[in-house]
Amino acid sequence: MMLSKLKRLFIQLVAASVGFCGIAQTAQAALIGTEQVAKSANPSKDRARLLAQLDRPQVVAELEKHGVARKDAVARVQALTDEEARMVAKAMDRAPAGGNSVIGAIVLIFLVLLLTDILGFTKIFPFTRSIR
Amino acid sequence: MRLLPPPNARRRWLLGFVLLLLTLAGCATRTPDLAREAPSDLPRRVELTRAPFFAQEAYQCGPATLAMALRSAGIAASPARLVSQVYLPERQGSLQIEMLAAARRNGAFALTIAPRMDALLREVSAGSPVIVLQNLGLPLLPTWHYALVIGYDLGRDEIVLRSGTTERLVMTAANFAHTWGRGDYWGMVALRPGRLPATAGEDEVTAAAIAFEKTNPPDAARRVYAAAAARWPGNLTLRMGLGNAAYAAGDLPAAEQAFRQAAQRHPRSAPAYNNLAMVLVEQGRTAEARQAAETALALGGPSRKEARATLERIAEAERRDGRLNDGPPGPAHPVPR
Repeated sequence: MMLSKLKRLFIQLVAASVGFCGIAQTAQAALIGTEQVAKSANPSKDRARLLAQLDRPQVVAELEKHGVARKDAVARVQALTDEEARMVAKAMDRAPAGGNSVIGAIVLIFLVLLLTDILGFTKIFPFTRSIR
Repeated sequence: MRLLPPPNARRRWLLGFVLLLLTLAGCATRTPDLAREAPSDLPRRVELTRAPFFAQEAYQCGPATLAMALRSAGIAASPARLVSQVYLPERQGSLQIEMLAAARRNGAFALTIAPRMDALLREVSAGSPVIVLQNLGLPLLPTWHYALVIGYDLGRDEIVLRSGTTERLVMTAANFAHTWGRGDYWGMVALRPGRLPATAGEDEVTAAAIAFEKTNPPDAARRVYAAAAARWPGNLTLRMGLGNAAYAAGDLPAAEQAFRQAAQRHPRSAPAYNNLAMVLVEQGRTAEARQAAETALALGGPSRKEARATLERIAEAERRDGRLNDGPPGPAHPVPR
């Protein structure tokens, strides 16, 4: 039958491509580079830095003023993947230095950008997964 | 019709303006006092008189300053050869990031210092001249300038620089702090590989070492990692870098030792076991290699793929060993070390 022929062709195609993927993914045996080691060693530090920000009373007060409880923000930081935590930490590093503007920037990152991204209102951080 | 506000309002404006000026001036005249900012254990007076001097040509303070810093670190360099590496004719200047990259390319372990006066003084007192970015103009009309800080005098409240066409420029601490502050307190050191900055932290040194490893011979990278790993023995990345650089330099026993130490201190690090396995199999020790590679695979994580490839490599070596053991002994038999 025509259909079963097509089906067979399709199955062969899929099998071939799966097989090809298998070949393509076989890595050349080599040492793991220092940079790759550093990348897998650092993220926990980024997360720790973000969480440390949420220990600052001014940041907490500012977040609460905007109706965000500290524990919600902490839960969200915990839910970030390592790569995401690194990106947020980097965004925080770019924030202008000096006095109150740092707190303002941190709150902006956490709240206006990150949390609204999660709610699906904005899409500034490309990595956030909307919960809607 | 009145174009001007009533005199009262005008006076209020004027008052506001004067108050604003006063507050601005208040910021600007906060005189720094070197003796107060310097940590108490620093010598009162330091001058690195052996730092060479190259007078800058045209706007090329970047290449000249970098050449002075490199020479101080014992690296042969001349401003003329650095021009193509750091000078942007269109901007009539050099970018900070390129100053760092060019220092690395020329074999120096380069990194920025903390943007603080005490960090600057400490580096100088440790024998490292510091490249600083100054804004000699006004914030609105900037005149950017690189210079080399080679000394200070706490008693006289002075900073000594090699700057532009002046071999020994003495600036009052206040004057220097203003011009340096307008450059966002940017400063960097260029060190001989194996020397560490006096003030940089573990994270900065690790990042700078990785950047150094990328563009420098493995032997130089080894010296950087060895010094850094000695200062921070618990740092996995530095220990792995030491092993990787030793491996790249062809020193398998040293690489093995570094990876073994990394695995001992960080028993959950799959890369440590994977790299240990690779170094072992290359030394013909397949049984030990298999054990390490299987540990790496069991630990999983993002390097699972590499662990599988390593195991395949080991299986290949085992097949070859088997064939050679079955057949007549040949010259290709791996020589045990």
